[in-house]
Amino acid sequence: MWTHRLARRNFLKNACCGMGTLALTAMLQQEQAVGSAHGKSAFKGPAKNVIFLFMAGGPSHIETFDPKPLLNKLHGQKRPVEFGEAKYQFVAADAKLLGSHVTYQPYGNSGIEVSSLFPETAKCADDLAVIRSCYGDVVVHSAAQYELFSGRIVPGFPSMGSWVLYGLGSESDSLPGYVVMPDPDGALEAGQPMYMNGFLPAAHQPTMLRAAGKPILNLELPSQISTRERRKTIELIERLNEAARAEEDNELEARIDSYELAFNMQQEAPGVFDLSQETQETLDLYGVGREPTHDYGRRCLLARRMIERGVRFAVVVSGGGPGNKQWDAHSDIVENHDRMAAETDRPVAGLLQDLKRRGMLDSTLVLWGGEFGRSPEAQSSKGRDHHNLGFTMWMAGGGIRGGTIVGATDEIGLRAIEQPYHFRDIHTTILHQLGIGQDELTYPHLGREERLTQIHGKVIKEIV
Amino acid sequence: MHYSPTLVASFRKCCVVLAFSASFLISSPVAISQVQSPSSLEEPPGPHAEQQKFFETKILTVLRNHCYECHSKTAANVEGGLWLDSRVSMRDGGDTGPAIVPGKPADSLLFQALCSQENQMPPDGALPPEVIADFELWILDGAFDSREDDSEARELDYSGAREFWAFQAPELPVLPQVSDVSWPRSSLDVFVLEKLEEHGLTPATPADPATLIRRLYFDLIGLPPAPEDLRAYVDSPSEEAYQAIVERLLASPLFGERQSQHWLDVVRYAETEGFEYDRHLPEMWRYRDYVVQSFAEDKPYDRFITEQLAGDELDPENVEYRIAAGFHRLGAVRRNAGNQQVASSRNEVLTERTDIVGSAMLGLTIGCCRCHDHKFDPISQVDYYRLQAYFAATQEDNVSLLSDADSQALAAKTKEIEQEIQKLKDSITGLNEADISATRSRISELEKSLPPAGPTACSIRNDFTNFDPIRVLKRGDPDKPGAIVGLRELGILVDDSLPELDPNTAHPRTRLAASLTLPNHPLTARVIVNRIWQSHFGRGIVSTTNDFGRNGSAPSHPELLDYLAQELVRSDWSTKELHRQIVLSNTYRQASEATEPTLAARLDADNVWLSHMSRRRLSAEEIRDAMLFTAGRLNVTVGGESIMVPVEQELIDQLYKPSQWDVAKDETQHYRRSIYLIAKRNLRLPFMEVFDQPAAQTSCAERPQSTHARQALEMLNGPLANELAGALVQRLHREVGPESSAMVERAFWLVAGRPPTQLEDQLSEDFLEQGSQREFCLAMFSLNAFLYVN
Repeated sequence: MWTHRLARRNFLKNACCGMGTLALTAMLQQEQAVGSAHGKSAFKGPAKNVIFLFMAGGPSHIETFDPKPLLNKLHGQKRPVEFGEAKYQFVAADAKLLGSHVTYQPYGNSGIEVSSLFPETAKCADDLAVIRSCYGDVVVHSAAQYELFSGRIVPGFPSMGSWVLYGLGSESDSLPGYVVMPDPDGALEAGQPMYMNGFLPAAHQPTMLRAAGKPILNLELPSQISTRERRKTIELIERLNEAARAEEDNELEARIDSYELAFNMQQEAPGVFDLSQETQETLDLYGVGREPTHDYGRRCLLARRMIERGVRFAVVVSGGGPGNKQWDAHSDIVENHDRMAAETDRPVAGLLQDLKRRGMLDSTLVLWGGEFGRSPEAQSSKGRDHHNLGFTMWMAGGGIRGGTIVGATDEIGLRAIEQPYHFRDIHTTILHQLGIGQDELTYPHLGREERLTQIHGKVIKEIV
Repeated sequence: MHYSPTLVASFRKCCVVLAFSASFLISSPVAISQVQSPSSLEEPPGPHAEQQKFFETKILTVLRNHCYECHSKTAANVEGGLWLDSRVSMRDGGDTGPAIVPGKPADSLLFQALCSQENQMPPDGALPPEVIADFELWILDGAFDSREDDSEARELDYSGAREFWAFQAPELPVLPQVSDVSWPRSSLDVFVLEKLEEHGLTPATPADPATLIRRLYFDLIGLPPAPEDLRAYVDSPSEEAYQAIVERLLASPLFGERQSQHWLDVVRYAETEGFEYDRHLPEMWRYRDYVVQSFAEDKPYDRFITEQLAGDELDPENVEYRIAAGFHRLGAVRRNAGNQQVASSRNEVLTERTDIVGSAMLGLTIGCCRCHDHKFDPISQVDYYRLQAYFAATQEDNVSLLSDADSQALAAKTKEIEQEIQKLKDSITGLNEADISATRSRISELEKSLPPAGPTACSIRNDFTNFDPIRVLKRGDPDKPGAIVGLRELGILVDDSLPELDPNTAHPRTRLAASLTLPNHPLTARVIVNRIWQSHFGRGIVSTTNDFGRNGSAPSHPELLDYLAQELVRSDWSTKELHRQIVLSNTYRQASEATEPTLAARLDADNVWLSHMSRRRLSAEEIRDAMLFTAGRLNVTVGGESIMVPVEQELIDQLYKPSQWDVAKDETQHYRRSIYLIAKRNLRLPFMEVFDQPAAQTSCAERPQSTHARQALEMLNGPLANELAGALVQRLHREVGPESSAMVERAFWLVAGRPPTQLEDQLSEDFLEQGSQREFCLAMFSLNAFLYVN
């Protein structure tokens, strides 16, 4: 049936037919071995899908998952010299330490301490693997957001979602494989390039879901065209293209298929947005239909519905627009974090609980966190500045060992001092759970075999 | 990071035992202090005899047997940027830090890796505990290392490396012998045929006239032929007629627009700075016009790159040159509020300015050398910073484009108002409150009446009064500056005896340009010739067009590449002449089906040997432009300010500053060619994005051609496709009337450059019996016969 493996590989690399590079490689290897055209997915990790709950702007580790009693004792003082130096975006050398308004208490069998900002998420403590020792390389939003998503501090490199789609393909015939649900409050500093496919073929682009009316661009028929009418148009396109096609032409065949796929998407995708199919109990679980949780709850619920239908990677963004509409609490950590946490706590917990009771949590890796944490020092008396030297992210599901705490920052939350984990380690761990080694997933670009991790990352062994 | 304290403790115990058995720790305690002092490195080996023996027997053999495979200059693929085959590089370390810190095993990443369970080295199995203990002991004792080593500024051994083809000047090759002497039309064809014959393949038959002309139009001007032009040729396809069309297209302003896109991809052209502010450079389009104009007028390529590299030095008064030097402003720029990290920001800018010269002009991936010597090519870190030294004095400079008279008038007017403002400000003290308020509002009025600055060119200039000479940065870190370096082209490309120029050398970039454009430069001509070849055949002779290094692909037709490079130089670097030579060849005029397709697919699936023409999907710009052209809407105005077209509000809202998207009020501007649409880094048009328009963040050497459902959605439901389908209906009515068979015939000529086959005609007419004409026209844009060029 196929003329040549290489041509086929080159072509398939550029096409999105639900099969990723790794599955393809496995298939080609298998063909080579048995001369068969049938292949199985190369899939070998516990996780099949990823949901990234992106807390944009940088949530404070000190106010969320990393209690620092000493910081309260040192409130109002300068940082003791033994903790070392840090570079901030705004905070000057003479800044004073800022105690925290939150209280902590242990939850679940694991006794993981969660702050008073997250009473609901706290109930899922035994599912969480809290990584208290994350760090990144930059202390400004745009560059840090690029690093969080693509492992580079500059734009232009593929995001983890694009890499995963490139590697594993999509399992859905009617939905895009990688979706991003931005916060309707507005944009983030790094802008769309942070989510993008970089130099990977456009087949691995994210689909940005709009908040209002038309969630997916170009999914709706133009006015005055009926579905029946459009079906005929697509048939005309397919027939004309078939008529002009030579035999065994994979590329043109795929283009014909892409119209069929587009039609399916048009028919079936809108259903995913119809939340009336959910019970009131489920809507309540996510906080849909009441404030302040409605919006984020709705998007978390959509994420579950998409994953259920085979979407590979979903990003649900909390925070957008001006800094204070993100977790970017420069001026008042109490006001900002109380508000942001209230919007997201119930939805996040609802998502974890819902995935779990549906048996989806085992195969869905959930990642929570931002592009950095926040400074132990006060900015303009009540706020906290950006801080990249030590902060918290957590993972749950997808084969991650729940109820674990990994690593530690020092006693004031300035620096990750035990088992520090970089973004590249987060990336490596996600790939690992998806059954992908970081070196398996590469793409040639400007003379290098590029991969998601610029420098080799480590699998966070404590949680897998 | 991950070494376990207990493990090390157990190794420590082990160490003590070994120390006694090795006995040198006890017998030569003085040596420990000696090796820890840097000066001891130059001392004769005598006092270190025991350490040397320990090193050579216990350490070096292990390094050689277990580490060099991935961590040495000879490694095929160096991991982690770490070389363990020299003392200095081991102490410098790789991407994550020093491998060895003498005296401190716990801080030595090499030792950590040997002990680690999670990230154990070597990866294929831990070394025996006694070997690991040797390493600890060795590091504790100061990590004595007897290997002959070079200083930080060591030079690579270039002599052997120069043998590599890409670093040798092109030689005029001898025309090879071929069996089929009747096929070649030109020398170019002879080189191609030789390879075909060598691989047991034969050239394809000539493409049919309609296919050939459609191909020629898209390749040269990025638009399809008008049906009348096409028919004129198809009716009498003579050689003279073909050549006349070639000449007409080469002379068309549309040629410059099409060819400039390739260059703009390579230099990652954008008119905004990216990162969070994505600040607009409102006059950057002048650089795009400069490029369009340069290709249109066939500016010699050596001149073209000289003006871009050094236009401001050549003649600061020459506006065109200053605009050309806007080349150095094309990289993304991070500007942040708050504490500015001056050194690292400056370093990012200089990195952009240096690396792009490597990718775009030299066809070398020099960026790696910012942090360490190149893993594959003979380029050292010092080489890299010497190249960066040519840019050390560059500063952003926006040049006024007003005439002297206008400029003086503007300055005079500005001065007059400013003086009045100053006078008022001085008068404020001593006034009562009402008068203060009145004066303030008068001042604010005056400030508003200041005339706007006139048009400017985004450019650069040298500022030697305020400049930091370039230093070698340890691991590329601006906080770890090393020795100052001067100007010098990459060591591999120049004679070893060539000295480094002083960091303050005047007109540095003019010198760089001069050496890059030497007629026998091994890379410059080959690289551009290869790019142009790729633009016609879909694949470069070197298929990695931005990487001619050892990790790139070898040329499929090395003699042909050299021949074309020499021809380019001989024709005074005329790129138009090269296009002419290519499109007039028989190689180019082949059909896209091989004479023996099965054989060709089996022997040469990627069509490296050109047994037929490779089909290609149109680029995003070509698709949009051809749709506009076909629907009769294309506005062919040449040049000028970039256009912003309407896009979904939700996309605009995803900008940090949504007000940046300022849609052109004159709607006819929305139908300009794609090259004139704004190149904004943080907002790419969805239509262009789905068809693989590059992100303009890094150099794009070759566009992917992907196939996916969102392209179909764009072509079915997108606003552009639907609007233009309507316009196409109107055009068809206007030209052939509403009768189905005439419409179908005309539509196929317009979109596919040929009449419909009988089956196509039948299917189309059947559809039109009940279906809408608009839907029919929409379908036309989705034909593979439209989206692909054969």
